[in-house]
Amino acid sequence: MSRKPYVRQMSKTSWFLTHSRYKHYILHEVTCIFIAIYAVILIFGLFRLGQGPEAWQGWLDGLRSPLGVIFQILAFGFAMIHTWSWFKVVPQAMRIQRGESFVPGNLIIGAHYGVLAIISLFVLILAGVA
Amino acid sequence: MARSSKAIPWLLFAGGGTVTAFILPVMILITGLFALFGVFSGALSYETMQAFVGNWLIKIILFGILFLTLWHAAHRLRVVAHDFGIRADTGVAIVVYGLAAVGTVATVIALLSV
Amino acid sequence: MSTRTITIEVLRYRPEQDQEPFFQSYTVPCDEDWVVLDALNYIKDELDRTLSYRWSCHMFVCGSCGIVVDGEPKLGCKAFVKDYGDKIRVEPLGNFPIERDLVVVIDDFIEKLESVNPYLIPKEEKSIDDGEYLQTPAQLKAFKQYSMCINCLLCYSACPQYGLDPSFVGPAALALAHRYNMDSRDVGRKAREDVVASHEGIWECSFVGACSQVCPKDVDPAGAIQQTKITSAIDYVTSFLPGGNR
Repeated sequence: MSRKPYVRQMSKTSWFLTHSRYKHYILHEVTCIFIAIYAVILIFGLFRLGQGPEAWQGWLDGLRSPLGVIFQILAFGFAMIHTWSWFKVVPQAMRIQRGESFVPGNLIIGAHYGVLAIISLFVLILAGVA
Repeated sequence: MARSSKAIPWLLFAGGGTVTAFILPVMILITGLFALFGVFSGALSYETMQAFVGNWLIKIILFGILFLTLWHAAHRLRVVAHDFGIRADTGVAIVVYGLAAVGTVATVIALLSV
Repeated sequence: MSTRTITIEVLRYRPEQDQEPFFQSYTVPCDEDWVVLDALNYIKDELDRTLSYRWSCHMFVCGSCGIVVDGEPKLGCKAFVKDYGDKIRVEPLGNFPIERDLVVVIDDFIEKLESVNPYLIPKEEKSIDDGEYLQTPAQLKAFKQYSMCINCLLCYSACPQYGLDPSFVGPAALALAHRYNMDSRDVGRKAREDVVASHEGIWECSFVGACSQVCPKDVDPAGAIQQTKITSAIDYVTSFLPGGNR
């Protein structure tokens, strides 16, 4: 009897909508779009800082424009999604073995949030508030 | 099969992913809170920022953050393009890494101009 | 023992007469402690002898009965009917061609598995008279998790990158390569690296993590692949340094 295996095709452009775990994945992947735009805004700000007080003020005004505010709210949300999804998988990528056991994953994740808090506090103090 | 050169952009992606995870939320918080409520207005004044970015150590740190952020985002964009069904991986790689390289040069020029 | 009558919708494909697969419903009186595999066995024994599927041990050891239950890759023997509603949809594993009904063609995986040299490559062969290759419990612990794989292929079914690009070596084979790389008795990492660290190897993985979520033996292939990425990337970079080993 001749064989006739049937090959099912997966949608190359919308597969990530077919399961909740793929949706979570694509959500943390697209954080890079907002992160990239924010980095470009910061680099642009550094240019404006070098061009004098008026140019710098123009950049600050841009941040305060409705578009600037909306973007930063979105960017903050996506940055937090990135942080959360990144920390979550650290124990898988970096196992720490002590003798015959491994440091518990939640301890590693917790340590990351601790460092996040310290860095954030430090930067806020550096910025003159908190 | 040959060993893949993806190792290099991946290291930058991983390093950048770690740095952005730690530093970006608070940075966006500062610019965002300023934008919303005007807090930190003294910290973001022209004179303060000139003095701040004028410091060489700060320049190096800012370069490190922005360089890794750009390459992190570039490499992930390459993966996203693939996930969205864009199969021209070599072309995509040239575009995203090219943009990251331009961004890196721009960061250096901008930092040196302050 | 109480029974519950459940509708099992099975994706059928009979190559000699069907152009494409279709769902066929069976009404099955299930005992409360049944797994989906029991329901399939009931169909085969009592309702429809033409239904084809693979199984052997019925106790999550053999890895033969991988199927997709309500959209989720599962071992048929580990998916309890009581955890599902009154209608259960059963399909063959995703990302593999369907040979017949729930039986898929796994030749591609077997080739990939062979390509990563999944066996101990010791520094020097010893004869049995020379005794064992000794290992401490801590050294065993370093790789034990990755040795639990039963090749059930749920991970390949869940992996979108394998579905999108079948040249990807894939989760189980890469996890098994890692298992031997992490073994203190093994020196075969270099022999595996040409496949493992190629475009089609670890670098095709984008860490969706689905493989580890569906693994019935908690092997964590996604973790194994990311760990391999770290060591391979460092290897790749240091190979360019003076005295580097290309």
